[in-house]
Amino acid sequence: MLEYLEAIFSVAVLASGIRLATPYLLAGLGETVGQRSGVLNLGVDGVMQLSAFFAYWTVLVHENLWLGIGVSVLVGLVMGIIYAIVTVFFEAQQGISGIGIFLFGLGFSDLMFQKNVGTPRFVKSLPDVRIPVLSDLPVLGEALFSHSVVIYGAFLLVPAVAWLLRKTTFGMNVRAVGENPQAADSLGVSAQRTRFIAILIGNVLAGLAGGALVLQLGVFQPNLTQGLGFIAVALVYFGAWRPSGVMVGALLYGLVAASVLQLKALQLIPRSYSDIAAMAPAVLTIAALVILAGRVKAPAALTRPFARH
Amino acid sequence: MATNTGEVMLEMRNITKRFPGVLANDSVNFDVRAGEVHTLLGENGAGKSTLMKVLFGLYQPEEGEILLNGTPTKITSPTHAINQRIGMIHQHFMLVPTLTVAENVALGLKSGRRPLTDLKAVARGIADISDEYGLAVDPNVDIWRLSVGERQRVEIIKALYRKAELLVLDEPTAVLTPQEVDELFAILRDMRNSGKGLVFISHKLHEVMALSDRITVLRNGKVTGATTPAESDRSKLASMMVGREVKLAPDKPLVEIGKPRLTISNLSVDGDRGAVAVDGVDLEIRAGEILGIAGVSGNGQRELAEAIAGLRSVKSGSTISIDGKDVAGMDTRDRRNAGLSYVPEERMRDGAIGDFTVAENLILVDHGSDEFSARGMFKFAEIETHCSQLVSDYAVKTPSLETPTSSLSGGNIQKIILARELANEPSVMIASQPTRGVDIGAAEYIHSRLVDARDRGMATMVISEDLDEVLGLADRIAVLCDGKVMDIVPVEGATKEQLGLLMAGVKS
Amino acid sequence: MSKTRTPKLWRLLAAIFALALVAAACGGTDDDPATDTTEAMEDDAETTEAMEDDDAETTEAMEDDDGEAMAGGTISMAIVAPSAKDDLAFTQSMVDSIAALDGDIDLQITDGTFVVEEAAAAIRGYAEAGVEVIVAHGTQYGGSLAEIAPDFPETTFVWGTASDTQGLDNIFAYYPAADEGGYVLGTIAAAISESGNIGIVGPVEAGDAVAYIDGFANGAKDNGATDVSIVYTGSFGDVALAAETAQAHITNGADVLSGSAQMVVGAVGVAAQNGVPWFGTQANQASLAPDLVVASQVYHWEGVLQQVLDARAAGTLGGEVFEINLGNGGLVIEFNDGYPLDPAVKTAAEATIAAVADGSQSTGV
Repeated sequence: MLEYLEAIFSVAVLASGIRLATPYLLAGLGETVGQRSGVLNLGVDGVMQLSAFFAYWTVLVHENLWLGIGVSVLVGLVMGIIYAIVTVFFEAQQGISGIGIFLFGLGFSDLMFQKNVGTPRFVKSLPDVRIPVLSDLPVLGEALFSHSVVIYGAFLLVPAVAWLLRKTTFGMNVRAVGENPQAADSLGVSAQRTRFIAILIGNVLAGLAGGALVLQLGVFQPNLTQGLGFIAVALVYFGAWRPSGVMVGALLYGLVAASVLQLKALQLIPRSYSDIAAMAPAVLTIAALVILAGRVKAPAALTRPFARH
Repeated sequence: MATNTGEVMLEMRNITKRFPGVLANDSVNFDVRAGEVHTLLGENGAGKSTLMKVLFGLYQPEEGEILLNGTPTKITSPTHAINQRIGMIHQHFMLVPTLTVAENVALGLKSGRRPLTDLKAVARGIADISDEYGLAVDPNVDIWRLSVGERQRVEIIKALYRKAELLVLDEPTAVLTPQEVDELFAILRDMRNSGKGLVFISHKLHEVMALSDRITVLRNGKVTGATTPAESDRSKLASMMVGREVKLAPDKPLVEIGKPRLTISNLSVDGDRGAVAVDGVDLEIRAGEILGIAGVSGNGQRELAEAIAGLRSVKSGSTISIDGKDVAGMDTRDRRNAGLSYVPEERMRDGAIGDFTVAENLILVDHGSDEFSARGMFKFAEIETHCSQLVSDYAVKTPSLETPTSSLSGGNIQKIILARELANEPSVMIASQPTRGVDIGAAEYIHSRLVDARDRGMATMVISEDLDEVLGLADRIAVLCDGKVMDIVPVEGATKEQLGLLMAGVKS
Repeated sequence: MSKTRTPKLWRLLAAIFALALVAAACGGTDDDPATDTTEAMEDDAETTEAMEDDDAETTEAMEDDDGEAMAGGTISMAIVAPSAKDDLAFTQSMVDSIAALDGDIDLQITDGTFVVEEAAAAIRGYAEAGVEVIVAHGTQYGGSLAEIAPDFPETTFVWGTASDTQGLDNIFAYYPAADEGGYVLGTIAAAISESGNIGIVGPVEAGDAVAYIDGFANGAKDNGATDVSIVYTGSFGDVALAAETAQAHITNGADVLSGSAQMVVGAVGVAAQNGVPWFGTQANQASLAPDLVVASQVYHWEGVLQQVLDARAAGTLGGEVFEINLGNGGLVIEFNDGYPLDPAVKTAAEATIAAVADGSQSTGV
């Protein structure tokens, strides 16, 4: 038993879990902002794949990581504008529109990869930045303060998004529009404009998530995300539409996945249970969702298009 | 009275607003002075809401102009209206339940600490308004925790915080208890006395008489009268609204009271949360008799009706019999076959299916009978004949039999339900809140049909929170309090004061 | 009124976007309707290629029906495969093998069909279009083939990796004895490992991945490796998970890594960052990490495919199972010149290859 605990509560698992959690966290934070404004975006995974490919391709050609990150943000912005036009101005059914974005992202990133790259090639990946002093702390220093800037950024975004939603007038508008857009509209808060911006924020973060994923790995492959974006959407429910909750969910998911890998690597999980263990993160997340279900309420206007009548 | 003392704040001249096929406002003139309550009275669909939406910038009129303090102004949006110091208290509250009172008030306003919110400053402003008008509310509490009356106060605070001088209140009493109505009226009178101009939209005549300084009546988009409470009375107002003489209480010919048709003894029923809701009730209704059930909402009326209809199980020892036949153990269909009809309180939930057509709702109960179907197939010709007859007999205003029921007005939906329920000449009818939310014209019609059926020998139970309705319709009145029958009194000689005391549980 | 004009403009923009989507999805290909249908279903399976023009294909198909000799003539073939045709792994091994065949072959490819229903539609489409030999390159396509093959008795279906023909006489099955190359690579890994600790990154525990990994582990242990850690991540495609697995192995002291399936690029990346030697399988993975890939077991399906074509020419449409192994040249150990492998180790490895090939050395699988 002790060896299991030692394996799980190790610097390596913590560091690995944080790396695995980061794309979920970024995408989940973005989706939180969107959903708080009343817009469900199931296209997150597609946006991530597109931004991942274009970030990868940019770095492959220009060998500039920051340019790659910038491109991933730009791809998120463009996809956000498209999704916002479709769902906010055309009041399209959000579930189907999101799936459309997902399929487009999946297919188009694959196509662009086959046409322009073909065989996987490595690009330089995001370097780890050791934070002076903090990274020298015993045990946790190595696990927490020796990561790429994108990872630090993702975790700093948690309080930032919480602050945005709680303390700013824009955040208040987002919450109002997600709950009762008619009320907001009657006071001159444009539900459309607020949702448009919230969708852009969500997609930019989804784009950044794709960029972070691919540049952490240094290589692209078709269907790189393997449904990561959909898990991120589920984590928003898990996190009860709160940035801190989404962070807990993403970390739980990443840490469980990393723990399972480590237990397998140390041959502590019998091979016959290997495939079952691989499902642990998803199973745990679903279990937590089931337990939490009903205790928190979704934004009342979630998935409901707004129009003045 | 402050009539004609203040400056004219608002003048709407010759406002005309058309929708496809409808002239919603037809050259309407309306004005409001500072320090008065000017009531806009009219049936549903008379054009009151349209006129106020024009004022609030939600609609642009085709013709006419709006003058604010004498200056012609084109109001283009709600924000613009708010900036012109016009406030609107919507019938359905425009509040965000998950936001606090202060956040709801601050919504849409420029913050002094942009981009951050400045809720402390807003809370101070709210406290000032609360003090001035007696609108007590905690700025830091989430809306969903507040009662309906408190939410309405927040709506008023929202408007006052935006320095509204002209306040429009759209059916503000629809969702309030009588006590809350009294509190609201006190607040509104204070606001009037401090020089605000108020527009009060309502179709409840006694409230209009109690609160108004002036009254303008709209019918079919036109102004059909302007008066004051001093020059008018309820039945005059009703006539102006409906366009003909209206009997607020139906004529009830004397009929011979027959044998008992509905007998209830020792009826006890649990409420939704397990507590006893109906406690040992004994009632008897005879042929040709209407028994009114009076009481403050939530004293067992709903459970009583549902228990008789078979929608709620009764406790052992209870008996319900129709024409001498014990029905307490029967399901709803067998009770109907025994002669029971039921007009439920929540008409859109329990009485009709909104997505169904008028015809489908008219045959909803009997759709499987031999009259309307054979071997599982509908007899469309018979159904159409039957339904056309009902629609014309009950004066249901519908474009066609195929119109979805939900697109009709509440009064017409209620007429459809009543037509269906009375079609089989039932021996017993339970009518819960038969005219709640229904136009005066339709209510008058529904009352007369109930009285007709009574005259033909039906035993009727009318459950209503509207004492005027009970007094006008019933032959005898039973007052429920806390699930018990306080007393049963004949309508002759019964007074509101006497009933009010019984409703409060005081037995003389 | 500007209020009504604005939505029209949006509508126009949306229409343009929708058109762009369609154009992108079709990707300029103009092949047979079957593949177009597949593409419409999902944008993913877009790389369909025709090496010869479509008219020739139709003619050839008719000649074939008449029973004309095929030797020397053009034969039409198609591949349906689950991952990308240049995945440096499973699918590429088959595409490269067909390209290496002699003779005139009209080849069409539908790749990326990891959704089985989509692959089934493509397979049926090719059969209906008269393609003579259809390679269903994925164990998971077996169920679909059992339904499709009886409807096209004149068509030869080639299915792998699989070790039975499902009792149908127009299906050839093929599988690699991946444990053989795995064993050889395992012996090399043990020889170059200093810590004796070797890490393996596997996908789902099934098919040739298991054979390769078990063979590799046995080869390593037989030659002195003390600690061989096998992790199946549970996914053929999750690159990030493969990367973290490699990281875990290295953290735990592994100084040589290997792995199977297309998600291993993630693991190769981590190996490269940490300067840890890598062994590949299915295709030659040297291009991923030119300094660190020691050797790869490469699948050469040419032999099997040639036997299939010969059998068909002789009138046998199916019913046989082929194995590729070190002995018949279907499995080849390709050393990477970029890695400075000790000549003694290489010599020993070549001896092991010979011993495994002639059966004198068991892989223990």
